[in-house]
Amino acid sequence: MTNSREEILHTIRKGLNGVSSKQNFADGNFPDEAREIKQLTIEQRSKLRTQFISELKNVNTNVLEAHDEDEIKKALLKLVKEKKLESFSIWESQYLKELKIKEELKNAGLKLVTAKNKNRIAKSDIGITEVDYAIADTGTLVLLANKNQPRSVSLLPPIHLAIVQPENLASNIKDLFVILKSRLAEGDDITSCMTFITGPSRTADIELNLTLGVHGPKELFVIV
Amino acid sequence: MGYHQIRFEKDSDKAIHNESLQKALVNVTDRFRSARNKASSKVSDWEELRTAARKIKKDTIANLDHYLVQLEESVKRAGGKVHWAKDADEASRIIVNIAKDGKVKSVVKSKSMATEEIELNSSFEQAAIKVVETDLGEYIIQLAGEHPSHIIAPAIHKTKDDISKLFSEKLGIPYYEKPEELTKVAREKLRSEFLSAGMGVSGANFAVAETGTIVVVENEGNARLTTTVPKIHVALVGIEKLIPRYEDLSLFLTILARSATGQKSSTYVSFITGPKREADIDGPEEFHLVLLDNGRSKILESEQTRESLYCIRCGACLNNCPVYRHVGGHSYGWVYSGPIGAIITPQLMGIDKAPELPFASSLCGACHDVCPVKIDFPKVLLELRKNVIESKEKNIRAGGAFLEKAGIKFWRFSVEHETIYKLLNKLSYYFQTPWKQSNGKLRSLPYPFSRWTDERDFPSVAKKTFRERWKELKDETG
Repeated sequence: MTNSREEILHTIRKGLNGVSSKQNFADGNFPDEAREIKQLTIEQRSKLRTQFISELKNVNTNVLEAHDEDEIKKALLKLVKEKKLESFSIWESQYLKELKIKEELKNAGLKLVTAKNKNRIAKSDIGITEVDYAIADTGTLVLLANKNQPRSVSLLPPIHLAIVQPENLASNIKDLFVILKSRLAEGDDITSCMTFITGPSRTADIELNLTLGVHGPKELFVIV
Repeated sequence: MGYHQIRFEKDSDKAIHNESLQKALVNVTDRFRSARNKASSKVSDWEELRTAARKIKKDTIANLDHYLVQLEESVKRAGGKVHWAKDADEASRIIVNIAKDGKVKSVVKSKSMATEEIELNSSFEQAAIKVVETDLGEYIIQLAGEHPSHIIAPAIHKTKDDISKLFSEKLGIPYYEKPEELTKVAREKLRSEFLSAGMGVSGANFAVAETGTIVVVENEGNARLTTTVPKIHVALVGIEKLIPRYEDLSLFLTILARSATGQKSSTYVSFITGPKREADIDGPEEFHLVLLDNGRSKILESEQTRESLYCIRCGACLNNCPVYRHVGGHSYGWVYSGPIGAIITPQLMGIDKAPELPFASSLCGACHDVCPVKIDFPKVLLELRKNVIESKEKNIRAGGAFLEKAGIKFWRFSVEHETIYKLLNKLSYYFQTPWKQSNGKLRSLPYPFSRWTDERDFPSVAKKTFRERWKELKDETG
């Protein structure tokens, strides 16, 4: 295997006639840029949120608007009733803990499914997460995996519910990457898996007919 | 099931006479083309983005050895393993060995043209390891024992009815008419495969040298499942997929989905850096990156055709190509079809294995116009045509090459000698008589001119040349 590595690199260098050199791309000042991006007025935030909601709807995401903790819980319980949910899996993340979503649902009689067993998560009725970021102009949710945020929760159950805090909204993907890069520049470890989610799963492989709900969740709900 | 020898002329002739295929091709190319046009028109700086994307690819490829080494370091730092495969056989061997070492009995695969290229599935089958395609389109063609016919929508050559019959036959279920029902069947069947597989194999759309991140773009969720659920994740990535910095992804993700399907973003994008961290609850315990050369490093030798490596596999060139639209993917005889297939298949396989492909184009340049990284297909095709003619393996073009050379020499001689040229004009006017139709067209001429008139009429030679008539008119009007 070392042989192939050397062979491949040798062929590349030969082909490039030995003129290669690591490009010195001017590295942006990401922490400063990120700070600038995050400074939004209340009006700008509100506009972003409106745009985000509209884009979510464009990609078949169900939007439940909520302006405070009470509205969030109301929307959640309404969904539980509508979909006749009996079990759930959930992130043990900060915001969801603050909102006490886990307790709320247990009180409503739902069974908690631990994220450690993939077969069980697949059988739970709904997976609930928050988001690390969201992108307004495409209606995209950005989820980073870590010890409190397993990947399977937003993937295996047939319904995924994400609770979005408007202050986590980035305008567009370019701004988002400035924010992400600034975190790396400041010494954060990169996550093993970051996922962008834009709508429920879909395919057009059969005669280009759009069908929702293939392997990922069939339905995506966002409370924002 | 391997790929046979490439026979473009024969296979495309078959394709043109296949009515249902023709309908499917018009459907898919029309839809993707108009969706791409709509999506790109909504991005105000689209042209600047294309220029910027090309520049990044150009700089990356021009320094590929450095970035590959950087990528390897980054992946290792994140806890992953890196393997280098100089050809298809080695790549398959490496991946099958990883499975054997992990005592893997079944493998789930998400969509990857590179794995098709190395015919990975047959290597697994030979090793008695079960492999299941999980992308719906790939699942369909796996059941049918066929090869993909389009980079983005592999089963697009199949009608709904084809697929309903296929599922009913191969899966022992009733005939379901609706795509929703067929999709539901695939979802349920493949769920159990995801949950029991010991290994997931994916490709990657991009590999970021700076962070060791591989990026997988999809709509169905099968790539997320493939790269999350099984204990081992293997990513097979062509060495040309590299981009230098993490933030470069924002540019490429902006242009990829819009160029491919007209979506602002595909449903899921996974950014994977190494295996799960110790504290993570789920995710693979092992991450293996297999870097695939298989002829790519050789393409670097030629500055004229080097840009073939910029391709981000969006499929826009296929959707805009008048040739692809009529002949479909299978006519190109290999994994890559359309304009990108026409340029990389001869380069990866060797010009002697695919001499027809550089000629499978009218050089209209529609591909160049829509390519998100501005690959100059006509330029590359012309260079490859030159290579074909110059190549020692003239077997297929033998007759044609000699006649062509002689014909061009003769033409040169006649246009350099005016008297001869004028004489030839007069002679051809008279000699053409047996073949001249009443409508003034030449409908069928003998060989070698038949190579033209087999497909289309040729105008007949006029009695007077333009110069003669011009002179006459001038004399008339004084």
